[in-house]
This record gives sequence, structure tokens and C-alpha cells, in this order.
Amino acid sequence: MNGLLSMILWAPILGMLAVLVIPKGNDNATRWTALVSTAITFALTLVLYANFDQSIPGVQLTETLPWISQFHIFYKLGIDGISLPMTLLNGLLFFLCIMSSWTVEKNLKGYFALLLMLQSTVFGVFFSLDFFLFYVYWEVMLIPMFFLIGVWGGENREYAAVKFFLYTFFGSIVMLVGIIALYYATGKGVDSFDIIAMHGGKFTDMTVHIFGTDFSFERLFFWTMFLGFAIKVPVFPFHTWLPHAHVQAPTAVSVILAGVLLKMGTYGFLRFSFPIFPAASVEYSTIIGVLGLISVIYGALCAMAQDDIKKLIAYSSVSHMGFVMMGMAAMNTQGMNGAVLQMFNHGTSTAMMFLLIGVLYERSHHRWIVRPDGTKGFGGLYTQMPKYSIIFIIGMFASMGLPGLSGFISEALIFLGIYPKFTTMTVLALIGLLLGAAYLLWAFKRMFFGEVNDEVKEYDDMNLREVAYMVPLCICVVVFGIFPSPILNIMKASVGQLVDLLSKY
Amino acid sequence: MIDILKLSVQLYAPELVCVVLMCLLLVAEAMHHEEGTDRTKVYLLATLGLVVTAGLLIMNLGAAPSAAFYNAVVIDSFGTLMKLIMVLGTLGALWLAHSSKDIYSNLKSEFAVMAVGTLIGGMLLASANNMLTLYLGIEILSILSYVMTSLKREDSTSTEAGMKYALYGGLTAGVMLFGMSHIYGMLGSIQFAEIVPKVAELQGADQIFLMASFLLFFAGLGYKISAFPFHMWSPDVYQGAPIPVTAFFAIVPKMAGMAVLIRVSHLFFAGDGALSVSWVGLLHVVAALTMTVGNVTAIGQDSVKRLLAFSSIGHVGMMIMGVVVLNEVGTRAIIYYGMAYLFMTLVAFWITSVLNDTYGTDSQAVFRGLIYRHPVMAIMMSIVLFSLAGMPPFSGFVAKFNILSVVIEKKYYGLAFIAALNSVVGLYYYMKLIKEMVFSKAETTEPVAGFTDSTRVLIVALTIPVVMMGIFWDGLMGLSGGAKLFLQ
Repeated sequence: MNGLLSMILWAPILGMLAVLVIPKGNDNATRWTALVSTAITFALTLVLYANFDQSIPGVQLTETLPWISQFHIFYKLGIDGISLPMTLLNGLLFFLCIMSSWTVEKNLKGYFALLLMLQSTVFGVFFSLDFFLFYVYWEVMLIPMFFLIGVWGGENREYAAVKFFLYTFFGSIVMLVGIIALYYATGKGVDSFDIIAMHGGKFTDMTVHIFGTDFSFERLFFWTMFLGFAIKVPVFPFHTWLPHAHVQAPTAVSVILAGVLLKMGTYGFLRFSFPIFPAASVEYSTIIGVLGLISVIYGALCAMAQDDIKKLIAYSSVSHMGFVMMGMAAMNTQGMNGAVLQMFNHGTSTAMMFLLIGVLYERSHHRWIVRPDGTKGFGGLYTQMPKYSIIFIIGMFASMGLPGLSGFISEALIFLGIYPKFTTMTVLALIGLLLGAAYLLWAFKRMFFGEVNDEVKEYDDMNLREVAYMVPLCICVVVFGIFPSPILNIMKASVGQLVDLLSKY
Repeated sequence: MIDILKLSVQLYAPELVCVVLMCLLLVAEAMHHEEGTDRTKVYLLATLGLVVTAGLLIMNLGAAPSAAFYNAVVIDSFGTLMKLIMVLGTLGALWLAHSSKDIYSNLKSEFAVMAVGTLIGGMLLASANNMLTLYLGIEILSILSYVMTSLKREDSTSTEAGMKYALYGGLTAGVMLFGMSHIYGMLGSIQFAEIVPKVAELQGADQIFLMASFLLFFAGLGYKISAFPFHMWSPDVYQGAPIPVTAFFAIVPKMAGMAVLIRVSHLFFAGDGALSVSWVGLLHVVAALTMTVGNVTAIGQDSVKRLLAFSSIGHVGMMIMGVVVLNEVGTRAIIYYGMAYLFMTLVAFWITSVLNDTYGTDSQAVFRGLIYRHPVMAIMMSIVLFSLAGMPPFSGFVAKFNILSVVIEKKYYGLAFIAALNSVVGLYYYMKLIKEMVFSKAETTEPVAGFTDSTRVLIVALTIPVVMMGIFWDGLMGLSGGAKLFLQ
């Protein structure tokens, strides 16, 4: 189907305009418009899935329009097996997020308009096949995020928003220098900003001269790009913006941040760093693996030390994204497949966790597992909110990687991949897995069991709307835990092509 | 001889229109000198004159470069584009002055006269083809600037700023003249066309001596564009001067100085001799330090005028990067930068001016919670600030992209990385202002009186190019219709 990608890309923008023209005060109309917009977008991503040919390893459904002729910049979109799962995730999560944002009161129009704008830019990042276009989307995305965290966030939201923005901007501006250098290295030709044309290790033998010393072009610019993506993932030691942003952001934004935005970092490695600089990627794969391992263990240990449940889940994201990095560093079929699958699965399970925390927060207005004064923040939630507890258990176990739920499959694949390459690290990463079970179960015990607090007695169980947006995610984690092949089949050909390329170096 | 003069007058028509306009404005002012008279007619006259000038300039675009008045000035696409930016900047500053309370109502037409006069100096600079016209241009530009700075006569900071400006200006102009006389002494001519071949012939110690003279010459230029280490005056002058004057200074004298820097660099140092290497090295250091000093110092500023002054120093540093490469794409990148900067500056100063008129201060606190009072204005200001920080999809990003791409093409990666880090610093202080406008609650939700309907429409209209030039910039880099930019 022609123009499908553009339709998906611009549908949220149309939704945004629709939200903006609704006169102030019509809160329900605003909510429904946003919901319908994301529903249509989600439906379109399903159409995209139906039209996707899983046997083609390269990009498909491409669209090209000239944009800036002088620099040979094109509006070029396309999709392959690595970006399609992310697209589906993006479509689904925004739809659910709008449902979960029904109770937002403050400046509704601005909130929904910015969310829809954010959705469009995230699609843009996953669809762009032109490096300049990609960069524009990658940067523009920061603007709605900045306002969403800064205006609708918690008490310390300004600090979190600024830190998030500055960190990511720093990474991406350094990457921009690399992008322009690549443009000139490819010879300023018609396809000089074409990402696919850059693939295949064309820069291995080039050198650059800086401050009187010769550097390998590939190595130098591998690192500039690494910085941009590593901050986004985030990998230790670039993760410090994440807990702040997560804790301060409103529920829906946390979901999007953990569910889709972090994946843009790992997607960047798979789409840009690895295929454009294969030799350097293979050379530095150990470093990527070790940083991934540190993220796994350090993230888990930090999570264990948290008294704030949202911060705990935020650190668990650092830990889980560490697994993705390790899987990618393995650079073999199992590891890569595991990594991409983990990106998808983490997207669903962590989204569940953040949505659940949001549900709880609406009742309690605090998130303390243990308050700073040492008393328990919650207790006996299990007796008080049975429906909530069951969904929480599903999300928690999926996140932990319990067999039968989605997290298990992807983590198992990652371990299969890294074992032959980094045997010691595999063993250490297993400790990370153990720690993951420990902090989640411990938190669960403290919150859900024990005596029912007086405060907790006032809480109602989840209402129909809340159950409605949790169910699709529950289905995802259960179905893909037993039967992961629909997702694996999408990515198989594309991942295979990437692994073939890397195996030559 | 008559033929030459005829041709020269034809080529020089835009400037001559401005001169006539200035005289007419003086007469018009004499007819409106009573306290309390509405000066709108004077402003309409000035607008008419400037629009005619702009039209003539646009007609000159794309024509083959040629010299006029016996090589005293040169008319080429490069100069014409720079002049166009200056004319548009003057036009913007003029209407800002019309609505601003910072220019006393009985001095409004004086402002118009002086702005047009300064513009004439700037235009002369942009097409200067010998040392004398260059110096003349600098002086016309400067002397009127000193007066404009202290236009708020009763305000002590304004008069102090004017005094500082005049002292610094006088000193650097003297140093510059000293450098020029050395160059004349060594090479025996003030005509650029005659000096250029002689520069290449110099050997050994003579080269070093000539370089020293050019350094003195650079002091004057660096002062006009407020490049490090000659930037010290600019924050004080920016803060002291009335806001329309500040907006004017941010555009017109800067672009004029930039034009001279570009022309001189391209004429004398385009080769690859030792002299060129040291000049390029000098510009490297100046570019890096100018943007770093400007951006880092901007962080701590509370006064928005001062903040924009330091940020403009940062932007000048970026523009100098386009001179470092000494090629035509670099120059085109600067021209684009100038155009983008023009609109961003006008919007930023306009909104600041309205708030300043209402609250009597330009501290960041007056921006607090603007989104709850004037959502559209706050969004426009945010767009402009994001654009100044170099965020896509706004024109500031494209400007930065072009500049980065020309230095990377020349493989000056070090400079490119310094510029990249600088834009992170830049983002931080622009973001602080956005934070104030959008994240903080206002104490009151009452609208600001100064944001009348017409002002708001105008601000939105000025913001549209900021967005448009960031998305549809195909062809904007080749505005001169493919003609050669310079007469060489």
C-alpha cells in the first residue's frame, strides 16, 4: 500500500491539530479526539503489519520525496523487521496512554496535543531512512518531552526536564558532527544522507586528522554516534538522567519514555552504528557488552535500594536495557534476535508496571514503599485490591523473566547468544537476573502483603477504564511468552542480514 | 568620466535612496517637533524609503560584480545580500521603536534619522573596496551608534553605555587606522585591488610586519562584531541602550562588520601562503573563544537584554566559523545565518520590549508564567529561543547545520566539536527562560497591556519565517541566483 508510512507518520499531527482547534473547556471532546486519533493510528500500524513482507531482509514500503536538493536530503521513509516491532509498540502504547490520561485535569489541550506530537516524532525516528530527516525527528522529539515533563510532572519536574533535555541534546549534537562528517566521507553524492547506502562498512579504511594526529575515521565517528545512542538507552555511566525524568514525569510520559523512547537508543545501534561501522562495532563489542553488564547489575542494585516504587521500576529499566546491550554485543543470531525481542517485551512489561504505579498513585498520591520516616507506605494491597494485584503479579513476573511470560523468552535468547562469546559475563549477568527477582519480590511483599494500612482501606479496586487499558498489555506478555514467533518472524530476515554483515569483520 | 559616474550612480542607487531618505526624515522631523505629536507619518516615510531600497537591492541581485566610483566601492551579490539583511533589520528595529516606550516620544523621529544614517554607514562597509571607504563606513556607523545608545538621556545606564561605547570605539578605530597606515606604508596603496597582488609578493620579515598591521586592523573589526577579546563593551551597551537600539545593534553593525571581515579575508588571504595560514589560525582561535566566552558568560545573566547580548557574541563566534573556511559555501552559510538571526532577534527583542514597557525591567522574572497569560506569545518566544539554541525544525538549526557542514567539509573537526559543545551551553540558558515562561505559575492571569492585537499579529508574522526557513530552505543558500558572490 503506497503512502502508508506517511499516513501513520502524519495521522497524529492531524489529531494534534484537531485537539488544538477544540475550544477550551470541552474536556471530554478533547479526550475523545485524542483517543480516536491514536486508535486510528494504531489501526494503521496493524494494517502496516498486514502489508509487511516478512521474507524481505532489507527495507520495504519505502517512500521518497526530494527535500533539500543542495545537500541531497530526501524525505525518505521505509521499514524493516527491526523497526516494525517498535512501530507496533508505539501505536499500541500511545493508544493505551491516552486512556490512562483520562484523569489529567491540568491544561488538557496542551497535554494531549503534545502527546500526539510526540507520537508522530517517534514514528519519524523509526521510519526515517535519510540521516538528516532522522536527526530532525530525533531532536524535535525532545521538545514535547521537555514540556510534558516540565509542566505536568511532579514537584521536582523542572530539574528533571532540563536534565533530560540537556543530556540528550549533548549526545545528539555530537552525533550531528558525525552525521555531517559521514555526508562528506561518502562524497556528497545523491545518496550521501541515505542511511541504507551507508551500510556495509564503507568507511573502514578512512583516516581523519585532528589536532595533529591521525585517527581512524570509523573508530572516531563510531564513538560520536555511540555517545548519542548510549545516552538515550541509557547505558551506564550515562544513565543518571533517567531516574529523575521517570520519577517526575506524569504516568503516560513515563510509559512512553520507558516503553518506546529508550528503544530508540538501541534501535540506533542496530540501524546506524553496527551496519555503518561494522569493523569498529565488532572491535568494540566487548566494551558494549561490559557496559551492558554493568548496567544490568548496577541498575538492579540501585533498584533494590529504592524506597520509591517508581524509581525502582526506573532503575529496573536501566537493568533490562543492559540485557539488550549485551544481546547486541554478542553479534550472533540468537543474541540479536533476543535483543530486538527484549526491546519489544520490555516495552510491554515496563509499560504495564508504570501504568500500574499510575493507577496506585491516583489513589494514594504517594509512591513510598517505605516512607522516609521508616513506616510502610502501603500494606495489604492484595486484600484491598485483588484485581489490581493480579495484574501487578502478571506484570512483575513478565518483567522478572518468569518462564511462560514474555520476558523469559527474550532473556533466554540473549543468554544463548552471549554464552559462546562472553562466558564469564553470562554468569555475572545471571546474578543480575537473580537480583531482578529479588527487588521485585521484595517490593511486592512490602506493598501487597501484611496488615492493611488504614489509608489503604480507602482505596477502590481498578475501575473498568483502568482494566481496559491493562488487558491488551496482559495479553501481550502472556501470548508472546508462550508463542513469541509472530514477533520473531517479523525480525528474522532483517536481523539475519545484519548478523551476516557483522560476521564478515 | 561622466559615463563612469552615471554608471556608478546607477549601481549605487540603493545607498543614494537612503541618503535622500535621511534628509527627508530630517525635514519631516522638523515638521513634527512638538511634544506629543504622533510620528507615525515619519515612520511611514522611512518605511517607504527602506522598502524602495530593499527593492533596488533585490534587483541588483544576480548581476555581475562591478566596481563603482573609481574602485572606491564594489557592488556584488555578496554585499547586496548583506545590505538586504541590514535594511530588513533597520525596518524591524524602526517599528519596534515606534511602539516601544524605551524611545521617548519626542525622540522617535530622531531615532529613525539615526537608524537610517547608521544603515548608510553599514551599507558603505559592505561594499567598501579601499581602506578609505572602509574607514569612512566604520566612522559613520560608529558615531551615530554612540548617540543612539544614549538616546535615553535621563537614564544613567544609557548615558554610561554611550560613553563606554564611544571610548572603546574611539580607541579601536584609532588602532585600526594605525594598522591601515602601516599597510599603506608598506604596500603604497589604499586600493584593495592594488594591494592584493603585492601582499603575495612579500617575503620573510615583511610578511611578519604586514601580519602585525593586519592584527591592528582586525582589532577595529573585531570590536564592531564584538569578537573575543574585543567583546567587553557589548553587554553593557546592549543593556544600557533602549531596546529598539539594542535590537538594531544586534543586527546592523554586526552584519556590516561581518561583511568587511569576510571581504578582507577572502581578498587578502584566499591563497595558501604563510600569511593565509596565520590569518586562518587567528580566526580559528577567535571563533572558538568568541563563542565559548559568549555562551558561558550568558548562563549567569538575569537581564534578558544582557542574555541576548552574550548570546549574540556566541552567534558571532559561530558565524566566524564560516569565514575560517574561506570559500564561497562558507560565505553563503553566513548569509543564511544572518537572515535566520535577523528574524529570531527581532521577535525576541520585541517580546522583551513589550514586557519591559509594562514592568519597567527586563529581568527574567517578568517572563514568569507568560504561557498562562499570553499562550501564543509564549509559544512564539519558545520557538525563537529553541531556534536560537539550534533545535530543528527551526531556522537556527539550519543555520548551525550549514556552518558545521562547511567547517567539517574542510575537516576542521576540532572547531566543529567546540561549536557542538557550545550549542549545549546555549541550550541551557535559553531553556532557563523557557522554563520561566512555561513551567512557572504567574502571579496574575491578567493580560499584558502592551500585547495589542496588532503587536501580536506582527510577532506571529515575524516568527513564521523562523519556522519556514527551517523546513523549506532548499534554494535559500543559493539566493544570488548562482552568480559569483565576489568581485576578485
